[in-house]
Amino acid sequence: MHSEKRLQREALLRSSEWTTRRHFLKECRAGLGMMGLGSLLGSCDWLGSKANPSAGMATFDPVNPMAPRIPHFTPKAKSVIYLHMAGAPSQLELFDYKPELQKLDGQECPESFLQGKKFAFIRGVPKLLGTQASFRQHGESGLWISDLLPHFQTISDEVTVVKTVMTDQFNHGPAQLLMHCGSPRLGRPSMGSWVTYGLGSENGNLPGFIVLTSGGKNPDAGKSVWGSGFLPSVYQGVHCRSEGEPVLFLQDPEGMDRSLRKASIDAINEVNRVTYEEMGDPETLSRISQYEMAFKMQIAVPEVMNIHDEPAYIHELYGADPSVSSLANNILLSRKLVEKGVRFVQIYDWGWDTHGTGPDGALDIGLVNKCRKVDRAMTALILDLKQRGLLDDTLVVWGGEFGRTPMQENREGKQNPFRGRDHHSDAFCMWMAGGGIKKGFSYGQTDEIGYHAVEGKVSVYDIQATILNQLGFDHEKLTYEFQGRPFRLTDVHGTVIRDILA
Amino acid sequence: MISRRFWRLEMITALIMASILGYSFLISKPRVDFSTEVKPLLNRKCLSCHGGVRQRSGYSLLFREEALGKGESGRPAIVPGDPEGSELIRRLTASDPEERMPYHESPLAKEEVELLRRWVEEGASWGDNWSYTPIREIPPPTIRGWLWGLIPSVHSRWILNDVDRFVAAKQIEHGLEPSPEADKTALVRRLSLDLTGLPSSPALLQSFLQDNSPQAYERLVDRLMASPAFGERWTAMWLDIARYADTKGYERDDTRNIWRYRDWLIKAFNRDMPYDSFLVAQIAGDMLPKATDEQFIATAFHRNTMANDEGGTDNEEFRTAAVIDRVNTTWEGILGTTFACVQCHSHPYDPFRHQEYYQFMAFLNDTRDEDSYAEYPLLHEYKDVDSVRFQTLKRWLATQTSSEEAARVVQFLRTRQPAINSLRADAFVNSELSDSKWLVMRRESSSRLARVDLTGRSKLLIRYETKRDDGTLTFRIDSLQGPAIARVSLPETSQGFQHHEVSLSQTNGVHDVYIQYQSPSLTNPNENGIRFDWFHFYPGFPGKAQPGFDTAWATYWNLLNSRTVEQTPVMIQNPAEMHRPTHVFVKGSWLVPGEQVTADVPASLPPLPKGAPKDRFGLALWLTDPQNPLTARTYVNRIWEQLFGVGLSETLEDLGTQGAPPTHPELLDYLSWHFMHRDGWSLKKLLRRIVLSATYRQDARVPEEALQKDPANRWLARGARVRLTAEQVRDQALAISGLLSTKMYGKSVMPYQPEGIWLSPYNGRSWLKSAGEDQHRRAIYTFWKRTGPYPSAIAFDGTAREVCLSRRIRTNTPLQALTTLNDPVYLEAARHLIYRCQSQTGKRPDKVIETTYRAATGYGLTEQRRKALDRLFRSALAQFQQHPEKACGMIGLQDEHNEPVTAALVVVGNAILNLDEVLNKN
Repeated sequence: MHSEKRLQREALLRSSEWTTRRHFLKECRAGLGMMGLGSLLGSCDWLGSKANPSAGMATFDPVNPMAPRIPHFTPKAKSVIYLHMAGAPSQLELFDYKPELQKLDGQECPESFLQGKKFAFIRGVPKLLGTQASFRQHGESGLWISDLLPHFQTISDEVTVVKTVMTDQFNHGPAQLLMHCGSPRLGRPSMGSWVTYGLGSENGNLPGFIVLTSGGKNPDAGKSVWGSGFLPSVYQGVHCRSEGEPVLFLQDPEGMDRSLRKASIDAINEVNRVTYEEMGDPETLSRISQYEMAFKMQIAVPEVMNIHDEPAYIHELYGADPSVSSLANNILLSRKLVEKGVRFVQIYDWGWDTHGTGPDGALDIGLVNKCRKVDRAMTALILDLKQRGLLDDTLVVWGGEFGRTPMQENREGKQNPFRGRDHHSDAFCMWMAGGGIKKGFSYGQTDEIGYHAVEGKVSVYDIQATILNQLGFDHEKLTYEFQGRPFRLTDVHGTVIRDILA
Repeated sequence: MISRRFWRLEMITALIMASILGYSFLISKPRVDFSTEVKPLLNRKCLSCHGGVRQRSGYSLLFREEALGKGESGRPAIVPGDPEGSELIRRLTASDPEERMPYHESPLAKEEVELLRRWVEEGASWGDNWSYTPIREIPPPTIRGWLWGLIPSVHSRWILNDVDRFVAAKQIEHGLEPSPEADKTALVRRLSLDLTGLPSSPALLQSFLQDNSPQAYERLVDRLMASPAFGERWTAMWLDIARYADTKGYERDDTRNIWRYRDWLIKAFNRDMPYDSFLVAQIAGDMLPKATDEQFIATAFHRNTMANDEGGTDNEEFRTAAVIDRVNTTWEGILGTTFACVQCHSHPYDPFRHQEYYQFMAFLNDTRDEDSYAEYPLLHEYKDVDSVRFQTLKRWLATQTSSEEAARVVQFLRTRQPAINSLRADAFVNSELSDSKWLVMRRESSSRLARVDLTGRSKLLIRYETKRDDGTLTFRIDSLQGPAIARVSLPETSQGFQHHEVSLSQTNGVHDVYIQYQSPSLTNPNENGIRFDWFHFYPGFPGKAQPGFDTAWATYWNLLNSRTVEQTPVMIQNPAEMHRPTHVFVKGSWLVPGEQVTADVPASLPPLPKGAPKDRFGLALWLTDPQNPLTARTYVNRIWEQLFGVGLSETLEDLGTQGAPPTHPELLDYLSWHFMHRDGWSLKKLLRRIVLSATYRQDARVPEEALQKDPANRWLARGARVRLTAEQVRDQALAISGLLSTKMYGKSVMPYQPEGIWLSPYNGRSWLKSAGEDQHRRAIYTFWKRTGPYPSAIAFDGTAREVCLSRRIRTNTPLQALTTLNDPVYLEAARHLIYRCQSQTGKRPDKVIETTYRAATGYGLTEQRRKALDRLFRSALAQFQQHPEKACGMIGLQDEHNEPVTAALVVVGNAILNLDEVLNKN
């Protein structure tokens, strides 16, 4: 019911914003530019001739590419918060409980597991490594959740854990690209770009696709994982930084206060209106509204990015601390952002690559610390969204780019100094919550040591298809014409995982 | 006179009558045209099921022989001349919904069915898309004026050259009148930005305003084309095609030293190197006889592909990705064709078959590069004293050794090729590829180099690194138990990789070479003893018996170990013994190699020129053969887009059937033909033809009526108004403020950039702000990191340069506004602009504002503008007088400029740099 209301609201918004170009121009001249993030004048033909009519979507106004748009069918989710643990967290320590692996700890890995396999670092015959955490069943659903995630254990009845995700890339960069852009190579649009291209934005003062990073580094694949690829650049993720200005060049120069900036933009726009009178180029009007928008963003973005004014109990709930940048702060922010109508919040937290080459990458040291940092905050996110009535139409996704081997890593044939696992592409865990996903559900089975998926195999493309489905898209129809063919996020693959839908 | 005119009148009347009669009585409907009428219909309605990808019911309409064939129904789909006997026509109108096509979609309109029926009746002839037909010499249309040319018309008076004739014809067709010529100030700025990427200097503007001779404009064009900034401006365009970057891409995104290629481009454009030579050098410069260093460097064009240094990656996978990128870039950037789809299946719309992709790939696949960490092969350019040493050695070789021997040594010193990269090793026993980059060996280990030609190779040069002084190597052939061809103790190395030469016992033929390593001091079986970079099997340094051998050998060894050499990744062909076969990849997957193919071009395009070899050099000849219908069209279309904002065909990347057909096909062909046959592929001559036209010189004002009739200005009845590129926005701000450095060439520089842009994992590199004038170089010299490109470049639609980009889609976003409002680079420019204008005109604020505006636009202030800027000045001044500390913030320094008036002027300067008329080409 909730989503229906929203859909109606969107339809209303659309029809009210459905103005002819001419009408829009008049509005601009009156200084009322109700603009989205950007304008794409001069590329009208691009949309007219290239937008795929079979997409079944309302043709959108090229002057306002961020105008809210209606997807293919009634969506379950309005926005997405995607938590990506870059480096790939170990499923065997978190969600995929394998008592059998415990018994085989220290034994040589059977030859059959190694035949025809390639690993990033494992060479020769490695030893099996039992799980480094204790597990218990929780809630009515009885989901097995590791004691490394004590808070998350309490919300087991809110989430679906998918245990059998598979990828075909075992290096970070390509695997992250595959996860978020549907191809291990660079140059494709990211999921958030596809979604904003398809849905536009609900908040005219904020970007529709915002990226938050923590852990001290960007994800391995760099900014391409939130790039717009061949889609127009208005759809690329806006990276809000946790230190310094949240958006580059948002802050006015020193010595220029808001009233002076206002005076300055007024003067610029006044001269630009004269230019428009003289030249008659509609693009000038678009620039006028972009400057107005920039001015509004200068207020809106720092405001929404500021978590100081959240009450103390919310800080407490998330474990957030506004004085230092952290994953917990970003997770709290993500709630604020979807509350304000941001479509897609993508969070990357770097530092989950537990090879065992040093203490930070040790399953019993580094991983424990990373879990401590994410556990409380991601649990808080679900509880907070729920108490605000936002969980039903916010899809929360958590995962990495692949999983980790049941074997202990022996880099270049040598035992690593700490307990660690190599990259593993054949089975790993992700969880989802809200946005029309089943509550308290476990999907898929791996074999006794968590090496292969044996039941309910899920590809990266299936995850993508499912996310798009919850947003109201047929993933095969959300396309864009490029290099002579329609491209889509899921390339030529992907099936919606119907079994996990509520 | 009179009688002659009458005669003309009569003749023309007769002709008109005849043609009307002929049209209505003698000629029935014209023949159906396949390319413009049938093909678009098939593309739209049929090919998604019956095309290159899907061939439902075993039927495809992509190629004629397929279309004439029988589907699963067994009935011939098209019988030329017999629509009634053609299954295709029957199916279009069948009443059974299971039979009627398009299957379960709405039926074709009556006229569409009729069109196809007539087409079949007329013989179902197949035709080519416009871009695959030969480029012909097209006479410009005659634009006569009224009364058979007696009274000049708006259009006939307007025409200055042939370009205008084509444009006028289309204007007439669309009921449009041309705009008058733009004023001189606008023309200078437009021309200057278009030809040099920079706004004109005040001096140039003045001299043009004062020059009233008829040649003034032409002289201006020539002056701008002679400026060294010309090469920089057109290089900026080509760098997107070449996907040039200063880093390798992917996870580590480490630095790549390839700026020499960028400099080569600048010089080539400034010398007006003919486009055919320009392409030959970039595709196959290394294969030219006696290739110069410059020609080698040109081939770095295809070494701009990304390389993956992430640990554990498969070098072959990423090499393959690079070669595929070379194919796609060649097609998209040079041939304006989307070939990438053919990687997985036959082209769904254009006449290219799956196999042809790989035949084409074979041209580009036989090169030495192997995704190695050091990016081999590298051209080595010796500097200073080493360059003299190299010259001396070359002279000695020329006199004391055979030309073949001399050539081999020189090639090796320049390229270190042919060498076997250690990453090719296999059959590891207690050895492996470390970080998937180099062969490392441990205690009692072995490995193998497969299929090495040992004939005539008496020496082996090894590049290696070891911390052990007791390591020994044994080289055996055919197996670990096979005969030893060399044994050697390797000295400890001190600073990174070093070279060592080993004598080999004489062996003939191709053998697997097994390497055994032993080091008694290695006690831990897991510890690495030695790391190899490459192996070079060769006949040894020549001229042993000749005078001066010892000195020559010493020079050779010195040069090999030179550490000051400039290294640039280049293309080098594999020698025969290292030949790399090319296979079709089934469904595009490199892991599923299919049939082996040899190099060739697609059958639907003209063949390789006579006598051209079937290799990269032959490919270069094919690309630049005037018979090639795509090369000149693609380039001319791109140059047009650079000047007018939109190409004659809008889709620069796709001139195929799915691209946008050109608005002025005859003009595109006219220009392309002249480009090749009259102007000798000269860019400057092509540009001259275009910018001297009345079309180019039109005023950019948009009349209300024109906005209705032609909102996107496709019929060119007004001048182009286009936002400046990312590079131009920056360069212009620096130029008008007087900050711009004119220094050319050299390593990429790092101007101011906010903290935290570079955060690549596993990469110790950081942004180290350049010193002095390197802060203010033109944008093409800014270091381009693929995973963290320069922020303001990205804001203004630059890309990460991961793959070839044919055209930037212009956007207009608030992030752009924030950049030019608040990026310290633009604030610094505003300050210097004001200081400069103050020093020119004195301290009176109104004068300074006037001068500043003039510096930015070339014009004086209109009353409304003056008022708006003055109001801003006064409110800023009031603030700064009240809060002097804010003035200090605006100025940034405690210096002589730190006072409220100047600070308030800086606020105005900042606003002026943000004006629409400044950010646009008008």
